[in-house]
Amino acid sequence: MATTRKEFFPDGAHFPTANFPAQVVLASGGNRLTLAYDAAVDETAYWSMIAPQGVTGALSLKVHYCMASATTGAVYFQAQVEAITPADATDLDAGTSFDTANSGNGTVPATAGYEQVISITLTAKDNWTDGDLIRIALSRDADNASDTATGDALFLAAELQEA
Amino acid sequence: MADMTTVQRAQTHAELMREFSDSRTSCSLTKLQLRAALDAADTWVSANAAAFNTALPVAARTALSATDKAKLLMFVVAKRFKVGAV
Repeated sequence: MATTRKEFFPDGAHFPTANFPAQVVLASGGNRLTLAYDAAVDETAYWSMIAPQGVTGALSLKVHYCMASATTGAVYFQAQVEAITPADATDLDAGTSFDTANSGNGTVPATAGYEQVISITLTAKDNWTDGDLIRIALSRDADNASDTATGDALFLAAELQEA
Repeated sequence: MADMTTVQRAQTHAELMREFSDSRTSCSLTKLQLRAALDAADTWVSANAAAFNTALPVAARTALSATDKAKLLMFVVAKRFKVGAV
């Protein structure tokens, strides 16, 4: 049985200096907070955590989203992992060290506003070790040929799951 | 009248998708289908610019610049959109 290792929400995100999803409140949805990933520009948001103890299984990121307007097509998300072990030769003040991108895509719901989940298997996880300082970068690869849905993809939450 | 450049069409495509998102306008087209529609609309405007010019009364046809005429058309289309007369 899969185990939930961490949950990520819009209000816990931090952002690069450019090309990041705007925080959008769905007023008619009870002021639900989302991150609006653009359909034309690749945008990224980050979440930080400490790698939990005892992770031995495969990891995946379950991305919960809905579409602002699209009722057809697919969205293509990418997740990158940065794992910093204490005493690593990584200058956190000078750059990043994300592993290569893991990707997942899925067909959007036929009704805008309906929730859907895309699963991204984190095959490339930067030699993740218990206790590492972790960042997850989640992007919409808007110019990917598999990202065919128009309009914003509204990020609702993500679950880090161990198989 | 020349068509928009590829970059201008891409910018318009992006702006249109953002407007759909902001206004929660349901869109049952893929990105490629929407872009093809936008390209076709732009091409149609180019192809029918002379006919629009001919349709204007002589006074306006001779006195207004091409930019003025484009603005005139934009206002008519925008108003028709706002009042649902499309």
